[in-house]
Amino acid sequence: MYREKLELKDRVAIVTGAGRGLGRQMALALAMAGTDIVAAARSQDQIEGTAREVEALGRRALAVRTDVRDSAAVDKLIESCLQEFGRLDIMLSNAGIGDAITQGKELWDVSDDEWHDALEVNLSGTFYCARAAARHMVQQRRGVIINVGSGTALRGYTANFAYAAAKAGVIALTKSLAVLLVRHNVRVNCIIPGFVVQSPPADPQAVDFIRERGRYMPVQRLGEAWELGPLAIFLASDASSYVTGQGFIIDGGGLAGGYAPVGFTPEVRMA
Amino acid sequence: MWENVKLGPEAFDLSGKRALVVGAASSVGRAIALALSEVGADVTVTSATPKASEALAVKRLARQIAITGPRREPQALDASLATAVQVMVRQVVKDMGGLDILVTAPDLFLGKAAEKTSDLEWSRIINANLSSVFYACRAAGREMVKQGWGRIINVASAMGERGLANSAAYCAAKAGVMNLTRALAQEWGPHGVTVNCIAPGWLEDSPGLGDPDPQANRLIRFIPMRRPGNADEVAPLALWLASEASGYVSGQTLFVDGGLLCHL
Repeated sequence: MYREKLELKDRVAIVTGAGRGLGRQMALALAMAGTDIVAAARSQDQIEGTAREVEALGRRALAVRTDVRDSAAVDKLIESCLQEFGRLDIMLSNAGIGDAITQGKELWDVSDDEWHDALEVNLSGTFYCARAAARHMVQQRRGVIINVGSGTALRGYTANFAYAAAKAGVIALTKSLAVLLVRHNVRVNCIIPGFVVQSPPADPQAVDFIRERGRYMPVQRLGEAWELGPLAIFLASDASSYVTGQGFIIDGGGLAGGYAPVGFTPEVRMA
Repeated sequence: MWENVKLGPEAFDLSGKRALVVGAASSVGRAIALALSEVGADVTVTSATPKASEALAVKRLARQIAITGPRREPQALDASLATAVQVMVRQVVKDMGGLDILVTAPDLFLGKAAEKTSDLEWSRIINANLSSVFYACRAAGREMVKQGWGRIINVASAMGERGLANSAAYCAAKAGVMNLTRALAQEWGPHGVTVNCIAPGWLEDSPGLGDPDPQANRLIRFIPMRRPGNADEVAPLALWLASEASGYVSGQTLFVDGGLLCHL
């Protein structure tokens, strides 16, 4: 009776940023659980790749080139999904850009464009997707919206503080939307990844870099994109029927600690 | 790790894993024990207080688990006694040949004004809800650290995150469980052991909730979902936290609360 709750047979999901990394892995995981997938992202090649992988898993797939900064394009994305599959059960807003654009920069050297860009893709894009999906889900009286935040939203993040601010917005948005949509039987939750490696490292330097970074994590390693797949299944399915407005932090234990780095706290005897 | 990963629903399969549920007489403990067993884990259950009704409940539960899973002797346990917990965990590890998953779900509630709470009541609530969790985690952690792999899931309560009148001791104990979880996550993370918390909001059988009918119960109007949850809605989260797939999650408290904590 618990296992069946995790099934997603014949549901339909839109996954933004589905061309690579976390989005691709989550799309594949949902497909494995029985979901048809609409893969959206800016790069046509990549989403077609994901769509082919979904089809290889025996599910239907559609690739729709979308820039989530453009709300009209997002509305069209939902329309294409409804036209093709006739329904929409899961909106997974994963598209985001977190390049280290403010790294090494003074605060006053960050331009308006850099600031607005980070907010547009990461926060406005998530809002446009939720708004467009909710319109339909409310009629259907059923739906799940999953946003993707970031651990950077919960601590200071100098390498791209605009991104951190936008992702903090995503987390706050999740909570408000959860309360707004709960009476329509639509749940809204947020996945909050810490340091997660997007794809298998291509060369030995990358392997070394990942291992070195991982030492700072309580679990002594960085996360890997596939680890978000089962979480996406959990949040998309009836297994999480009483969960809404929550952020699921998947960060190797970092945010639960941070008072002192791993290995820096000696044992002190009681006086 | 990228090869042979369980990405889809098979990630929730726990065949071959050995689990111990302390406090399985509580509704959430019971549901988690049944869920773990359903996905293939070998499960031993214990009570958490010396109450005869608890011992009876875990006995029945063990019988139910044995219908589909391996038969394990249920343990009658007062989890607030450190030695008893240590001895029990040793025994269970010996019986099952190891221990991969620990679930702690003791739940002893006291609804009483703070100024009327006696010393004895305070220490009973702290011992039953917090000390017991430390004892169980310590005993199980020793085994898991040795083994280099483990999953610990503590069942706290949304009352550990927000204060509630007439339940100061319980709120303090459950908040203690959450920060105990964070500290143990830091300590055992390097040894392959993750420690997390599940915090349910109002459940159908929560003490203090009263009539679960929303018409009759004003409290329910404060839950965005307009209904209390039930233990079966909490259990699936434990399956994820017990699995290989949650290896990058540690020190977290995850709420199953129908949106309760999103309310202003």
